[in-house]
Amino acid sequence: MIELTERKASIQPVKSKLRISILDDKEIEKINQTARDILEQVGIMMPSDKALTILADAGADVDFGTKIVKIPAQLVDDSLKTAPRRYTLCGRRPDLDADIGGDKGTYFYCSGEAPKIVDLETGERRHALKRDVENMARIADYLSIVSLIWPTVSANDKGMTAPLHGVEACFNNTEKHVQTESVMDEISARYAIEMASVVAGGREELKKRPLHSILLCAIAPLAQDRGGIESALVYAEAGLPVGVMSMPTLGLTGPPYEAGSLATGLAEVLSGCVLTQIAAPGTPNFVSIIPSVVDPRTANYFMGSAYAQITSAAAVQLAHSNGLPITACLSFGGSQWKLNNWQVGIENVYVHLLAVMAGADMSFGPSGMIEAVSLLDMRRILFDREILQVVDTITDGFEVNDHTLAFDMIREVGPRGMFLAHKRTAKEARRLWPPSILFEEPTRPDERYRDPVEVAHEAIQWILENHRPEPLPEDVRQELRRIVAAAERDEELKRSIEG
Amino acid sequence: MEDILQKIATNLYEGEDQEVAELVQEALDQGMTPDEILQEGLIAGMDEVGRDFKAGDLFVPEVLIAARAMHAGMNVLRPLLTETDAASAGKCVIGTVKGDLHDIGKNLVKMMLEGAGFETIDLGADAGPEAFVEAVREHRPQVIGMSALLTTTMVQMKATIEALEEAGLRGEVKVMAGGAPVTDAFAQEIGADAYAPDAATAVEVARRLVA
Repeated sequence: MIELTERKASIQPVKSKLRISILDDKEIEKINQTARDILEQVGIMMPSDKALTILADAGADVDFGTKIVKIPAQLVDDSLKTAPRRYTLCGRRPDLDADIGGDKGTYFYCSGEAPKIVDLETGERRHALKRDVENMARIADYLSIVSLIWPTVSANDKGMTAPLHGVEACFNNTEKHVQTESVMDEISARYAIEMASVVAGGREELKKRPLHSILLCAIAPLAQDRGGIESALVYAEAGLPVGVMSMPTLGLTGPPYEAGSLATGLAEVLSGCVLTQIAAPGTPNFVSIIPSVVDPRTANYFMGSAYAQITSAAAVQLAHSNGLPITACLSFGGSQWKLNNWQVGIENVYVHLLAVMAGADMSFGPSGMIEAVSLLDMRRILFDREILQVVDTITDGFEVNDHTLAFDMIREVGPRGMFLAHKRTAKEARRLWPPSILFEEPTRPDERYRDPVEVAHEAIQWILENHRPEPLPEDVRQELRRIVAAAERDEELKRSIEG
Repeated sequence: MEDILQKIATNLYEGEDQEVAELVQEALDQGMTPDEILQEGLIAGMDEVGRDFKAGDLFVPEVLIAARAMHAGMNVLRPLLTETDAASAGKCVIGTVKGDLHDIGKNLVKMMLEGAGFETIDLGADAGPEAFVEAVREHRPQVIGMSALLTTTMVQMKATIEALEEAGLRGEVKVMAGGAPVTDAFAQEIGADAYAPDAATAVEVARRLVA
């Protein structure tokens, strides 16, 4: 195992010289047209009068009884014009900023919000707690392959305010950008934004440097969640980035075709973008379409499918054709499978390669997720890291110039010579042998072989014991505590969540 | 005569709902008894579907279209059946719990239950504890099925069980819980009687609960 050394948080997007196009221009146009036909003729269910009123005032055809809104294609196109293609998802320090749309490569998330965790000490599967959110945020803070962070598990010990506890746990344990996908009601959204303002140093500062954002997940097919959409509106009004996600399951919540599910998925995400652009023009939007397939034996959701992944990669082209950044979501970078089996291996090499080569602005990836994002195994994030190192190397290609052609060196060494003892080799060997956390070779003949899972276990323990992210000032920490405590006592929030 | 019953069973197996309805009517016109058509046509076909599904030869979508064909046949037959002929496999009140609009899984369980001969009362999505209590009072089911997709709404399952207890109805129904974040351990912890990880298993569990 390489020596782990304490260092400040850093981020590392994966840049790709290689590009893949899954759809041609005509196919992109057809899917875009079908998504617009769906919005205009079939409509989207938005069970929020607030959202429906905004859309009706802008000229959409709203039925307040059925809560279905039909959005004319012209309104979709006009609204999307104000959505920026380039913006920044800020960290606490400028060197932790993700320059979305700035051609810096694909920024990877540590995501999840899984309900369960594999206990690092006992190996027991249990419901996740707030301290697990804190620990995973610290691990993600340490690993530079992680640029953006979600609470990776739910703080199940905190009841209805678990999403706010999750945000607090992240702010206290990472300097990187914190995104939520579980603050799904208007009142919680106000508390979360208040927390972000405190960390940023005020509302205006937060607007200038948005270190917090939200991802809203639609309910496939063709519906939005009331609380979610109202929460997203609060974020948009505060000038914070709003992502909209769709999760069509081919043959269950989407048509049993890749193209048709992309069309319904696109209609769902565009409906959220259109709404936020009308409510707060210029809101930094991004989209995410994560198709899966139905397991026809049980009718369960199944994400580990090559049909789903190629559909997801195609969504990158669709988002860009609409002028929107995208978070590629191939199996959430996780997997249907358990840790350390061969399926995880193949799946996670190709999903990350697809995301980066498709040119996704962001992608889910090093999250430690297994069992379809329902279970966190912290050790897995180090396997994700290994895979992404390989993907980074492959997609980056290599340089061809006089220096790397090394004719002078070749002439100098000559036939039957050796390059190993050359000064330039001594320097380049570091580049050709990137540090691996999991690869270790026994140094003594009697040393036993260690499974990489065991090595990963030790490395995770090291990070948890040694990595101390730059702490927030004590008064800020106390203020965050006060805000969460106020939310816990908020009767209106209780009523809002419990309906 | 036997031929048409076989045809009903085969068409049901293939999920041809219109054909099944027509064939049931044709069999009645030929003078067959409703009970004969039910047992040797519709139920015979559905039994074969069940066997092949269990063996892994049929997939869920195929079971669902077969169930729909069964339903089409039953629509023709039901007014003619006596109460004992039409005895269902059991009665189940089902719903997605309060605060949760994700009802695909619940709908699937409902369709599978109906395919297996259960009578279901569907409370839809966002069904509060009081809706479950009310339905139990009104319909007297043997089983209730609760579904949740969100970790934030699964707590409503416990609230529903508590509401049943408060209403003095807990002893009269078996409670079944399911949905992506729900586990067997969670179901036990909140005092449910059973947990099912998917729609097909839910049918087996419901059968066991009413047995």
